[in-house]
Formats: sequence, C-alpha cells, structure tokens
Amino acid sequence: MSTSSPSLSEHAAHVRGRWERSERFGRWLERRIPRSSRITLSQSSIFIFPTVTGFVFGALVLLLIVGAINYQNSLVYGVAFLLGSLFLVTILYTFRNLSGMTFDLVGAGAGFVDESIEFQVRVSRPQGRGREGIQLGWPGAIAQWAEVYEAPACVVRLYVRADARGWLRPGRLLIETYYPLGLLRAWTWVDLDAKALVYPRPIFGEPPQATTRQRDEGELIDPRGSDDFSDMRSYRSGDPVRRILWRTYARSDELIVKEYASYLDPRFIVDFDALPGDVEERLSRMTGMVLTASNVQREFALSLPGTFIESGLGAAHLDRVLRALALYGVEDDVD
Amino acid sequence: MASKTMSTETTGGVGRQIPRLSLAFLMLAQAAVVIPHGGHLSWWVIVVGLVCAAWRWMVYQGRWDFPSRLVKVVLVVMAVVGVALGGTGAFSLETATALLIVAFALKLVEMRSRRDAYLVIFLCYFVIATEFLFEQSMAIAFYQLLAVIVVTAAMVGLNQMHTRIRPLVSLRTAATLVLQAAPLMLVLFLFFPRIAPLWSVPLPGGAQTGITDRVAPGDIASLARSDEIAFRVTFDGPAPNTAMLYWRGLVYSRFDAGVWTAGPLPPTDRRVESVRVQADGTAPLRYEVLLEPTQAVWLFALETPSPVTPGTALTRDYRLVSDEPIRGLFRYRVESFPDYVADASLPEWLRRRETQIIEGANPRSREFSQALRERSASDRAYLESLLLHVRREPYFYTLNPPLLNSADDIDEFWFDTRAGFCSHFAGAFVYLARLAGIPARMVGGYQGGEVNPVTGHFVVRQYDAHAWAEAWVAGEGWVRFDPTAAVAPARIERGLDAALSEPDRAALAAFTSLRLAGTAFADVMYWFESLEHRWNVWVVGYDTQRQYQYLRDLLGGVSPVKIGLVMLAGGAGSLALVALSLFWRRRSVVGHPTERLLRRFDAALARQGLSRAPAESPRAFLQRVGIALGKQPAQMTSLVESVDQLLYNPASNAHDGAVRRRVAQGLRRLKLEVALRSRG
Repeated sequence: MSTSSPSLSEHAAHVRGRWERSERFGRWLERRIPRSSRITLSQSSIFIFPTVTGFVFGALVLLLIVGAINYQNSLVYGVAFLLGSLFLVTILYTFRNLSGMTFDLVGAGAGFVDESIEFQVRVSRPQGRGREGIQLGWPGAIAQWAEVYEAPACVVRLYVRADARGWLRPGRLLIETYYPLGLLRAWTWVDLDAKALVYPRPIFGEPPQATTRQRDEGELIDPRGSDDFSDMRSYRSGDPVRRILWRTYARSDELIVKEYASYLDPRFIVDFDALPGDVEERLSRMTGMVLTASNVQREFALSLPGTFIESGLGAAHLDRVLRALALYGVEDDVD
Repeated sequence: MASKTMSTETTGGVGRQIPRLSLAFLMLAQAAVVIPHGGHLSWWVIVVGLVCAAWRWMVYQGRWDFPSRLVKVVLVVMAVVGVALGGTGAFSLETATALLIVAFALKLVEMRSRRDAYLVIFLCYFVIATEFLFEQSMAIAFYQLLAVIVVTAAMVGLNQMHTRIRPLVSLRTAATLVLQAAPLMLVLFLFFPRIAPLWSVPLPGGAQTGITDRVAPGDIASLARSDEIAFRVTFDGPAPNTAMLYWRGLVYSRFDAGVWTAGPLPPTDRRVESVRVQADGTAPLRYEVLLEPTQAVWLFALETPSPVTPGTALTRDYRLVSDEPIRGLFRYRVESFPDYVADASLPEWLRRRETQIIEGANPRSREFSQALRERSASDRAYLESLLLHVRREPYFYTLNPPLLNSADDIDEFWFDTRAGFCSHFAGAFVYLARLAGIPARMVGGYQGGEVNPVTGHFVVRQYDAHAWAEAWVAGEGWVRFDPTAAVAPARIERGLDAALSEPDRAALAAFTSLRLAGTAFADVMYWFESLEHRWNVWVVGYDTQRQYQYLRDLLGGVSPVKIGLVMLAGGAGSLALVALSLFWRRRSVVGHPTERLLRRFDAALARQGLSRAPAESPRAFLQRVGIALGKQPAQMTSLVESVDQLLYNPASNAHDGAVRRRVAQGLRRLKLEVALRSRG
C-alpha cells in the first residue's frame, strides 16, 4: 500500500471503492472483463492512475522546475526532468507488471458461517522478467502478495469471511500493483467465478434423541408399541381384551394374547421438523447434530422438508448432508 | 505449461510498515545526499545528523525505542534556534539549506510509516537539487546521479514484496529506471523552453574567490598556489599570442599603507559606443568567457572590451562588469579592440585622481624619480627607463618575497630587498610614475592561460593572477606597462612555472607542476579538463541564449509549434524505446536442440544462396547440399542418418551427446565448404 497520507488515501480509496462498487461500473466491467475462472490480463483489462504519492511527486517536480527557472540552474532543470521522465517510465513499468499475468481459480474451500473460507488463486506470469509487488484480494478481506519473481507461478491463498449460509460469492477480485515506485497504481477487477459453500453455523448441545417411525424395518423393538404383530404369549392381567386370540381360547382354554410391537427406527435421523426454533436456528442445530454424530462415528440420516438423505457415515455422506443444509431454501446456481 | 511450472505459496499480508531493507536504503540515501553539503554546513548540524542516524540505527536493531514526543520537541526547537543563530541574520540560501538538512536529520528518528519514508525520499531528491545551487561540476553531477539511483532504490524497496531481501535487485531496478529515463530527460533538457526567472531568489553567497579589489603585497602570490580555474575562454578566430593575453579585471587607483584598493565601482559608461565607433574598421577579437563564480561583479576581458552579452557593461575605467555578482558559472561574450585609444584626452579630475600619492613617505624613491625624470626626455622615456632599470638591476621575481615592514615600503622594496611578486613590481612602478606626475594606476587580472589541446580553449587558473601597471601618455591614452615582463620575461611568455625558482615551484599546488611539466599525466588532465569545459558549455551553461542558438541551428528557426512537435516526437520516441525493451519478448529459445542447430544451418546457407524449400525435409535438403558440393551420396549418409536419428528417434537419447556433437561438426564443415565454394 503506497500512501503519502493514510487519511487522504483512505478517503480516496473510499471514493474509488464507492464508484467501483456501483452498479453502472459493475455492468461496464462485466462487458469489459467477462467472468471466467481463468483470466489473462491484457491491455484493455488494466487500469492505471497516479496515487496520492504520485501526485505529491508531480508537485515536487513542478517545484524543482520553478526553482530551476528562478535560479537559472541547468542542473536543477536536469534533476526535475530526470524525475519527470522517471515518472513517465514508471507508467510503463507499473502497467507491464500486470500485463500478461494469468489468474486461475484453482480451489475453493468450504466452511461454516463466521469462518474464513479459503480460495486458491494461481498466479502465473509469462516467460521473461519476474514480476514484483502484485497484491490480490477481495474487498474487505486481507490482500496477499503474489510471489512470482523467481517462480513463474504461485498459488495464493485468500481468505474471505462467510457471513451467510449458502453460496459465498466474493465477487470481483481486486488485483493491484504499485511497483516499482508507488507513484502509480495499476489495478483490475477480475471475476474468477469464485464461489464456496458455506454451511450453517453449528449449534451444539442438542441431545441425540431417537425418533420413532412407523416403519417395518428395524432391529430394536419397543414392547409398548402397537404397530405390528410380533409374537404371542400367555395372557397377563392388564392386557387389552381385544388382543386376546379368542379362537385359540376356544380350542385350548388358554388365554393367548397377540403381541404387537412398535419398531423403533434404528437410524438416527436429524429431522428438521423435530426441532424447535426458526429455520436458521433449526439448521444450525441440525448442523451441530450432524457434526457430533459424525464425530462419534454414528450413522445418521437427514430429513429436511422436501429432502431426505438416507442414513450413512463418512466424509462423502457428511459433505452431502452439509451441502443440503447449506443450500436449504437457497436457490442453487443455475449457471 | 501448467504442469511444468513450479508453485510456491505465499503467506503474510500487505503491510503499512517500512520494509527493513528499504529502511537501510533510506538511511544510505540520506547519508549520500547530505555528504556533498558538508562543505557549507556548520559542524553541529553534522553532529545532529550523526546522532539521529545512530539513534535510528539502534531502533532498527531493536535496541532502543523511538524518542518520546518531548525529546522530539526539544530537538526541533534547539535545531531551529541553532540555525537562526548560526545564520547571517538575513534569510540566505545557506540558512534555508541548513534548516532543510536539520529537519531531514530529525526526520530520521521519527520515520515509522511508509508515509514518512516517502517524505524522506522526496526530501532526498530535493536536497540533491539544492546541492546544484552550490556546485555544478561534472564530478558532483555524476555523484548526484548515483545518489538519485540509491534514493530510487529505496523507493523500489518500499514497493517490492519484502518477505525476501534482495538489495541488489532494488538497486538494479532503480539503475535501469534511471537509465531508461535518461533519453526522455535529454529531450526535455534540450527542448523545454528556458524562461526568465519568475521572481528573484537569494543566491548562494560565500567568500570572494580570485583576485579582489584590495591588493596587499602578498595577496597575488598566495593565489599562485591555487590551481583552481578562474575562467575559460573560447576565441572565435585564431587566438592571440599568450604574451598578449592580459585579462583586465580591476583597476587600483588608491595606495595607502602598502595596500592598493580599487575603491567604489565607477559608474558604467556610454563610452561603449565610442569604443565601437572609434575602432571602426579594425576587426575586434571575438571570444566567449565562462567565468567561475567569484561573488563579485567584475569580469575579465582583453583591452579594450565592448560588452555584447546583456547584463554586462563597461565602466569609466574600461572594465567590463556584470549587473549582478557572479554567483554561478557565468557566460559572456566580448568584442575587444586592442588598438583603441582609451582616454585620448584625460579629464582634470581623473588626472588628479591617478596621480595622487601621500606626501612625505618614501624619500629615496622621490629622489630617484626626480633624478630619472630629469634625465628623461619625455614621460614615455621616463616610464621606459623605469622598466630598463628593473631589467638591468638585480631584481628578483619570487613567490616568497621578504616581508616589507617599514613605513617606506616602496623604498624598501625598490632599493633594499629587490625581490617580489608581480604586485610589488607593478605597485612600485605606479608609485614611481605618480612621483613624476604621470597619471598611472595598477591593474589586476590574469595573464596568459594555457590552451587545452583537446578543445582548443584557453584555461586561466588562479595562479595566472597578475598585476601590472597602466600609465597615461599623451597621444596614446592609457598604455600598459608590465614590470614583471622586465624582471621575469619567462612568466609572461611561458607562464608562471617557467619563471619560478626550484623552491618556489615546490610551493605550488600539487597538480600544477605536474600539469606544467608536460608529462603523460598532463594529457589525461587536459582530456578531463576539456570534458569539464564541454560540460560547462553544454550543460551548466545551457541557458536561454544557448538554447535559442542551438534550436535555431537544429530546426532552422524557432517557433512554439516546432518546439512542441520536436518535444512530442522526442518524448514519444524515447518512451517507445523503453516500452520496446519492456514488452519485447525475445524469440523463445524452446524447441528441439537439433532443430535449433538446423535453423542456424539453414540461415547460414541461405546467406550463401542455398536455401531450404518450405516443404523440403532436412534429409532431402542435406542431400541436395551434398550434390551441390559435388559429393557422393555415400559421403553424406552418416550425417543424414544421424540428423534423422536425432530428430525423429526419441529412443536414441542414450548417445545423444556424442551424436549431436558429430552432427554439429558435420554441419559446420558443410557450412564452411559452401562458403568456400561460393567465394571461389
């Protein structure tokens, strides 16, 4: 960051930021640098403008020229002209520093709300001279240097804080450089089509309770249930009269009762409907439960309105479940 | 491509602190730009600078902390008071510079953020420019160019990724930048219109150098020990004989207690016109003088000058003066009319002034003068006999004359010690002339000069300082008499060194004898001197006038449109050069080594008129070349097979080295044979 006065440059950055986040600019940029996961910077996609420092430098050159005029001093003219020329040459350098650079999105992590999500951007330079002082970052996140001076390419890990569940789209990535003298800033906004999945923030502490289900399968039996016939036995006082097998009694005088049982659902189902609270809170609790279950190596199923994921265990299963939780009620990407 | 490139990961954010490498460069840059100012700074400013630098170094090393606010306030107040007390009272350039440098030093212990770093860098550039107000030599310019590179390297360091320290890369980048900025700078320097000062500014002061308006007996002798350049002269036509080069600068009319003084500057005169009119018909000597700063208004010219350059004028005593004291290198043109009769008739007031002597002193001289005048037929004859007396009697020319301590100093010199430097002889001559009632005055300036064989210009140094006499003779006006020429003719004809005795010569500046001795070293010095002269003429002295001349010669007429176009074209051209060097990608050298070998072979044969057809395979082409050389196909088989193997058989990698060497050798031989065949 080159700044001659932080407050001034911050102000400038603020103004710049407002314009650069405006819709009109966005539409214009969309046409100029279309979205792509791999972008090579060309002449039309790099912007360049003096920094505050650059303007101060320009003022210094003017001051020196006035001094040279008043003192009629050729060598002071010389210094002024050398610095002025340096400024102009720097324009080419700063521009060249970004020109031809290629940016690929090579990976996007996933995470929970309030976490920093990792994106991996591969920065590669054309053959020839090394590039220095290139920074990249999403607005509001920490910028990182791309080290492509000796190596022709590097992978820069960028972290973006996730605020909401669903797809995290950090938007256009700001690539900028002040190299070599900090007098000029060359920058561009590229849309690498970066997106990462953000899971609900987990809320832990929900007891992993079992839910009964009127289903035929299962191993555990609840003797107090009344779903299905399971066995016969001798009458014990208190048994419901309607369960007595009267036909058998007629033959053998023995009171036999039919035994019915409820099959306790053997699977652990994380059920949206079984939880209290609003949608987000329920999803958070479900996420917590899913993580806990996964942690203790217990199989679980997921039930969301409109979605049911069969019981299972393992990383792939967890991913599927978390994805479903993340995207519940969120429009999945059409593109 | 992606599979082959190496990937490294980076961590660490982009910070706001000054990178350590850059800080080291900054301190180096500060030291570099302050050093040349050492000459005109008070000692305590230097001490403050050193203390601050040491403090900052300790902070850099992590041993000390930054000074507290109180300490800083105290330091600033002390520094400002110190500068105010040390100054001359008025706001001079020296005071301003001292203040700038103190502030600069104090900034050292306050430098934390990048903003501070940039402030220091910009101050560095400013200090570099300031130094040029005091000195403009080629050596200092070269030094300052290096300083600019170091300062720029500090700026590069601020913008490099600083997890790795690469001082040489910063320095190389800065040097490249400065080098690439040079052509554009040159264009701007030559074509940017030089305009008149917008407002008047204090110029650097300092002690007067060279000959002054007050000559005590030993003064000129002490100048003889300096080999500093007083001025340089370029004649338009052939230069006159060295013995004729009397560079008149000052006229001393008052003599009191052994000291000759010039008195207040006489008013400038419209006599200039009369010099021109009266001398009409005789061709003047035309020349240009580049005067080193003297801090005084007088200029040096041959008799009798007529000013050409605006800002110069002629005084009543036919001296050339400038309107302003000469504070920087000053270039002026003169036309001199050697045959002009100055003061054909002498006004009474002037006669009274130029014959004034204090009554009563030097009785022996009075007696001597009276006797001699009686023996002489005319004023002119009297003056000639004085010279004859000096020539005949045992007078000595020396740099170290015995001290004259009596009140009758002219007597003491003329009759007793009889040894002196030019001012002694000239002073005594004027005194004796005045005793006889002849108007006479002492003239100070320089005599002679050496020709630089490289550029052909004259260099007049401080040791050429000279004093001679002028006397007014009816019908001839003011006539020059040089008693030194009578006592030591070699001084006038061959320069100072020739006229000096061995011990005197030892007293000269180290380089003087070497230069005068005509060694090989002298040639080197002449070469340097000529460089310095060109520098002075073309760089330091490149002013409005010279620019106008140059542009007129170059463009055949000066108009704003023309200058604008030339600047635009030159600027665009020089930037295009830089762009080319930056964006030009060298043709990639990737490719099969054998293909490269064959490409070169094809190119070489194509130059001999034997080129491979686009569709011709290397095999077919080689065979065709063999036939063209009259070889049997069998002779070519080995080479052709080897080439094929290298090109198309990847399995043959095992003996690649040996085969490739053999192929390279075979191709070389073929190239040679083809070349020989096409020659003969």
